[in-house]
Amino acid sequence: MSETIQGQIALAGISIGRIMKVGQSLDGYMAEYSSGSADEEMEKLNNAIDVLSSEIDDSVEAMRNAGQEEQADIMEAHSFLLMDPMFADLAADKTKEMSNAPAAVLAAADEAAELLAGMDDEYMRERAQDVKDIGKRLARCILGVKAPEIGDDPVVLCGHEVEPSAVANIPDGKIAGMIMGQGSTTCHAVIIAKSRDIVTVVGIGDSTESIPDQARVLLDGNKGLIIIDPSPEELAAYEEKIAEEKAAKLRYEALRDLPAETTDGIEIQLAANIGLPEDAEAAVKYGNRGVGLFRSEFLFMGRKEMPSEEEQFEQYKRAIQACQGELCVIRTMDIGGDKPLAYLNIPKEDNPFLGYRAVRISLERPELFLPQLKAVLRAGVFGKAAIMVPMVTCVDEAKAVRSMVDRARAELDAENKEYSRAVQLGIMVETPAAAVMAPVLAKYVDFFSIGTNDLVQYTLAVDRINPQVSKLYDHFNPAVLQLIQRTIKSGADNGKWVGMCGEMASDPYAAVILMAMGISELSMSAPSIPKVKEKIRAVSIKEAEKHLAQVMQMETGAEIREYLRAAL
Amino acid sequence: MQELTLKVLNKAGLHARPAKELVKFSRGIKSEVFVKFNGKSANIKSMMGVMGLGAKKDADVTLTVDGPDEAEVVKALTDMFAQGFGFTDELE
Repeated sequence: MSETIQGQIALAGISIGRIMKVGQSLDGYMAEYSSGSADEEMEKLNNAIDVLSSEIDDSVEAMRNAGQEEQADIMEAHSFLLMDPMFADLAADKTKEMSNAPAAVLAAADEAAELLAGMDDEYMRERAQDVKDIGKRLARCILGVKAPEIGDDPVVLCGHEVEPSAVANIPDGKIAGMIMGQGSTTCHAVIIAKSRDIVTVVGIGDSTESIPDQARVLLDGNKGLIIIDPSPEELAAYEEKIAEEKAAKLRYEALRDLPAETTDGIEIQLAANIGLPEDAEAAVKYGNRGVGLFRSEFLFMGRKEMPSEEEQFEQYKRAIQACQGELCVIRTMDIGGDKPLAYLNIPKEDNPFLGYRAVRISLERPELFLPQLKAVLRAGVFGKAAIMVPMVTCVDEAKAVRSMVDRARAELDAENKEYSRAVQLGIMVETPAAAVMAPVLAKYVDFFSIGTNDLVQYTLAVDRINPQVSKLYDHFNPAVLQLIQRTIKSGADNGKWVGMCGEMASDPYAAVILMAMGISELSMSAPSIPKVKEKIRAVSIKEAEKHLAQVMQMETGAEIREYLRAAL
Repeated sequence: MQELTLKVLNKAGLHARPAKELVKFSRGIKSEVFVKFNGKSANIKSMMGVMGLGAKKDADVTLTVDGPDEAEVVKALTDMFAQGFGFTDELE
């Protein structure tokens, strides 16, 4: 009997493999460990350091040769930490003191991690998890814990956290997937998984413990499902899907360098939504043209103080450069009571989606907003950049944002810092108020980007997380379509371009009618780009306009959906 | 042994990138080099140690160089600091 666990999607795809538990407790081994004299323990420590450092150097070289730069960089940082005299001294002191090498390296790694976590440097803070990884590897080496054997079946790594070295050390073809209890999609293991296209499901909490080692699992990364001991029927159904995916993957690869244009040659820009600059680098393989939404709030989360102008500048610069001359749209902080940050001191509220959030905070807190604006203006020198402000609902806010950007420029002039005067300023249209007022708002901005997730939610008064009402959530609801059409037309009437960065942009059927409405850009998670491109390349703008005219006559979302599925 | 004082010119101080350059540099020389700042001292082989000094832009740090290749090392270090460790975009 199979069992299914629902997790969060980190990397889509479907795969089948055998569970290999990682990051298991060393407690059992530690209890049985009989330690020798302080000198003997020192020798074991030094041996382990030698063994591990040559292992790491070998794997870094192999990764560089295989062109896996991102992985190699992370593992090279491990080598730096391992060879750092400060870590070595710490480990040696602890070993002398405790006369127990494995316990000493773990304690030394914890202390070093704490030290790193407290440093005033993002790069070093990130290394805290790496030094813990090293500590565990050294301890395993001393305790003689062998790395689990990889059999004929590809493995699915499974643990509360997966150490980056565990993923990095399994060759392509032998790794089918990764499951993590914790929910972060920005940890090093996930970054490595993304760079290698390893299907990954995260955020299943303690359920990792109920998954038996060596169990056969089916990982549906498209839905975030983990099916343990799948039945023959389930396997057969999925094997069909895997075959379909493979075929689609081949078709999509062939599409990568082709433009997203209709059969009669009208092109639309398909851009990527990203959370971190490295996502922009990874998006290239899906054939994106630039970034339509860089969610800058990820830079603000999971830390003790806000990132400095300098730190933000470095990150924006990296993303802009990764866009290779195409536009990189950076959204200013979209934070509110639903995802509070301790250092912002935003009070909890009953109704955060209707409360103090996004631009409403930014305009009242110039000490947060100005460094962000200045960082984007400065980074703009390295390519084509745009500032996009979320949750603007009225003209006053649009005007206030403009003057804030002027202030940022004046400050940069006074500080004699180089910046780009070509950085565009746009707003997200994600409330009915903004869509209704679009003809007026268009005068104050360079572009609109329609944020459909919130626009649908606010227009239809539906919380899509709430299963009792989520069926009412529909981006094809005619009320939503009318607001979208109005927004696009208002942009065009004023000579401003309009894009979309919500989930609707990744719906190929929606893409066709949005094109007919005159949208210029659709921004989506990078893996969705090929399927949208495929649909666009199959229609002419004439046909699309005909479908749009039909659709705008219809009375319900269901009717529209049914029509488009049949027609396209 | 030679001692010299150099100014940190990199905008972000002696942070990860310069510290990494120092470690790489240390692997090619015979001398032992220590950086002192604010009452703390770190071997340049230690990225964690160097960064733990917290030397910001314009800080004057003291370096001690001890070994057979002192003269060349002193010259190389002087250049490295002056050129922002090769990260010209970090200089004003």
